[in-house]
Amino acid sequence: MLHDAPQFLVALEQSALASAIRQSSWAYMTANVGHILALMVFVSAVVVMDARLLGAFAAAPPASVVRPARRLAALGLVLMAATGSMLFAAEATHVAGNPVFQIKAVLIVLGILNALLAGRLLREALDETHAFEPLPTAAKVCAVLSLTIWFATAACGRLIAYF
Amino acid sequence: MHKMLALIGLGLAVPTAVLAHHGWGSYDAAHPITVAGAIETLKYENPHALITVKAPDKVWTVTLAPTSRMRSRGAPPEFVAVGKVVSAYGYPSTVEKDEMRAERITIDGKTVELR
Repeated sequence: MLHDAPQFLVALEQSALASAIRQSSWAYMTANVGHILALMVFVSAVVVMDARLLGAFAAAPPASVVRPARRLAALGLVLMAATGSMLFAAEATHVAGNPVFQIKAVLIVLGILNALLAGRLLREALDETHAFEPLPTAAKVCAVLSLTIWFATAACGRLIAYF
Repeated sequence: MHKMLALIGLGLAVPTAVLAHHGWGSYDAAHPITVAGAIETLKYENPHALITVKAPDKVWTVTLAPTSRMRSRGAPPEFVAVGKVVSAYGYPSTVEKDEMRAERITIDGKTVELR
């Protein structure tokens, strides 16, 4: 535990739930495995969605790919947040002070903002664009940002253990 | 094509080598130490069990392994109980003062590998 950690992080780490996660023989392990499985759901949906925005699967109307993939990505993100919160709570003071985790937290915020912005910007284009028709440049920009941010987020997640 | 495959291969191999070199994250594997003394506290918790050891010079925090691995290697909580004398071989932290991560520990003549 860091001695100068903010009080709410100390309280979180010492909470009954966080203690239970640490002391259980399976809880931490399960959250860890669950986080990776949720990542697989999340990132596979994101890649399909962004690939369509970049022009792949051109025979499929963009909305028919992007909208269901986006819903699946949202589900994956919720599962990642749930499992990630368990991992965070167990070691809150240490993890919050980790520079790579701090970068990861910023990236997650940026990734969600980009996704929300893309949802607004591209709504009409998705409604109106048919198969084989090009999407606006904004779609490509959002997709590249999305892929860059989320892959960087995943890399940071793994790198927390090394810093 | 072959050149490209070679480049991809290199791209995959280099980061792996770098990560492997840093193996246990923020621990200085180039300067192994042995910490010996009585166990003062035990936290048999995940993600890693922790003991503090009263060595002649100072009290060390020794990071062990996840509890499931500890049990399967023959180191249940009783094995690392407070008061027992331990010899821990491992690597000092480059981040936390007086903390080390144990590669192996020996208690009552029995050595348990923790990696």
